[in-house]
Amino acid sequence: MQPLLDLLTDHWRILLAAIVLMIAVGLLLPGETRKSRLRVAALAAAAVACAWSVMFEYNATWLDASLFYLFAGAAVGASVLMISSRNPVYAALWFALATLAVCGLFVLRTAPFLAAATVIVYAGAIIVTFLFVVMLASQSGTALYDQRASQPFSAVATGTVLLFAFLLVLTGEGSAAVSAHVQATGVPGEVPIAVSGASNTATSEAPRTLGTAKPGTLLGLGSSLFGEYLLFVELAGTLLLTAAVGAIAIAPRRKRGAP
Amino acid sequence: MTSSLDNYLIVGAILFVLGAVGFLTRRNLILMMLSAELMLHGVSLNLVAFSHEYGNNQGQVFTIFVLTVAACEAALALALILALYQQRKTLDIRLWHDLGEEEPPPPPAAGEAPPAHKLPVFPRLTPAGRVPELSPQETATHV
Repeated sequence: MQPLLDLLTDHWRILLAAIVLMIAVGLLLPGETRKSRLRVAALAAAAVACAWSVMFEYNATWLDASLFYLFAGAAVGASVLMISSRNPVYAALWFALATLAVCGLFVLRTAPFLAAATVIVYAGAIIVTFLFVVMLASQSGTALYDQRASQPFSAVATGTVLLFAFLLVLTGEGSAAVSAHVQATGVPGEVPIAVSGASNTATSEAPRTLGTAKPGTLLGLGSSLFGEYLLFVELAGTLLLTAAVGAIAIAPRRKRGAP
Repeated sequence: MTSSLDNYLIVGAILFVLGAVGFLTRRNLILMMLSAELMLHGVSLNLVAFSHEYGNNQGQVFTIFVLTVAACEAALALALILALYQQRKTLDIRLWHDLGEEEPPPPPAAGEAPPAHKLPVFPRLTPAGRVPELSPQETATHV
């Protein structure tokens, strides 16, 4: 019991940030009574302030840092609004915004192709989902099951514990361990791709000739996908085919001749 | 203490937790699926941040496979949602709590003999005709 109390008191700022953020989420969730939006917005601002003071110390150029804050704030804010909006159509739109913000973070982490692929895949998925929502759910206004959250208290408690554990690991010893490992193995932020390919797979000859390809570019990603991971690309294609066949088999179809 | 890697990991963790809370609280089937996709976003962000930190492509390749699995999941989930919707004309998850099997009867208390299994009473046929000829093996097993 005493170690747990020590842990909580040592990291009280992380605990406070997790609790405030989750309480804001819990108050925003659809419930029986309408809450004052102003109070919830103040609480959310407090959560953001807590999070900011605890977690983020961004040592980069101001452009990089401001873009990161923009995209991260958009992603988290859109996610909160997605899980708390009463109208499923709006929820789908907030999810699209969260996806776009995550793609912005991908671009900041030198993954432009991945950002484009995510936008393409999720744009298709979101448009289909959106059509489903419009077709199914919004025929007669907002349904009752969107007005009430199911078991918000236990869900918020679970989220608080989970978030506290994550933040504790990420800002504490776990982060220090990762940094030490990076320094020990001598892998800096930017190295040629051939280093990783040659160090663990001595038999792969694909990345040798493309040694100058920066990670994240289409050249490096493609040579890695179709060199080292060719078998898994085939497996992914098989998985997609199986899922398509299964979706067609599961989806209900009209009887022949029915309108 | 904090590097730029940690910032991305923290954002990924927050997205994951928000997706988990949304999955637990929302009752709309479509929104539950979207919350699961939000959790996948958090995981993808982690992978991309590590890929940048270590300077290789493995994280991004894995993110592409995550995208593939997410696409499969979306297709199957939408087909399932449509099939469920056509049966009950609602997207409420609470109406589908009876998908599982029925509850088994409570186990007997310690020391109490389990209830005797009552055999159904089968009708007895009056013998008719002649006795069929049996091979010696059958006679051994039947008598």
